[in-house]
Amino acid sequence: MKSDRFERWLQNIYHTQDEEISCSECFDLVSHFVEVELAGEDAAARMPKLKQHLDQCAACREEYETLRDLQRLENKGELPSADDLQDKL
Amino acid sequence: MSTTRTNQEWLHDLNASGATQEAAIADLRDLLLRAALYFFSRNLGDFKGLNRDEITQRAEDCAQDALIAVMDHLSDFRGDSKFSTWAYKFAINMAMMAARRERWKGVSLDELAASDESHFFASIREDKSDGIAPEQSAMQAEIQRIIQEVIEHDLTENQRRVLFMMVFNEVPMDEVVRQLDTNRNAVYKMLHDARRKLKSGLQARGFEIGETLALFGASR
Repeated sequence: MKSDRFERWLQNIYHTQDEEISCSECFDLVSHFVEVELAGEDAAARMPKLKQHLDQCAACREEYETLRDLQRLENKGELPSADDLQDKL
Repeated sequence: MSTTRTNQEWLHDLNASGATQEAAIADLRDLLLRAALYFFSRNLGDFKGLNRDEITQRAEDCAQDALIAVMDHLSDFRGDSKFSTWAYKFAINMAMMAARRERWKGVSLDELAASDESHFFASIREDKSDGIAPEQSAMQAEIQRIIQEVIEHDLTENQRRVLFMMVFNEVPMDEVVRQLDTNRNAVYKMLHDARRKLKSGLQARGFEIGETLALFGASR
């Protein structure tokens, strides 16, 4: 629905800050953000600028979500092997 | 299966020589391959027309590129996460670029960029036309008019171009980066500057955040 997309974009416009971190800075910090989050702490409160970037940047957000889910699997000892993952392709 | 190492052991082994380093590199490469395959398995729609072997080969290529990037940036690792978390992000980044490149192969972004935003706003009006009070509909139209006015008069050509591609046509960031031969930071900056101008434009005309989002039902 294009209207949903427009509404999300409108929120992004209004939540724009004068200073925002770059994608490179996000890349540098995102592994720490995931570590904090998976430790059960409030990563968004500890790293608000990173959270703001993730809310604005779909590419960085998708990388973050993948990293978080992958690390969660590893922490639980459930990271699939390469062979298992190839079977899903 | 990779052996389990502490962060210190990863750094020690990867910086060692001989068999110790070779074993660590092999284990790291396995982790990076799994990260790339994991991303691909979540985004199979990007690989229509490719068979499993071809997708696997692309994952192998991503793992190899990520391995080189990790080794090049080893001294940047600060230890504020598990080493694997830090390393995975390189493979995920490579995998995302490869997946989006595959999905948008053969699509002319110049044609998309040459279109204007009027079709986008027209389709929004069609989407939202049912069950809305005339006054609310008129306010929505006014906000869209302001946005179009700011886009037309206040944005630079590059900001408009990136906006049309990414916001109105949903072209992914990495494909825009590739087409414009630039980097994510530059594209993000263009979008950020465009958002700032649009926010200022709306606020200057009296549309503050709560009221505007409520008009479009986006305040929830």
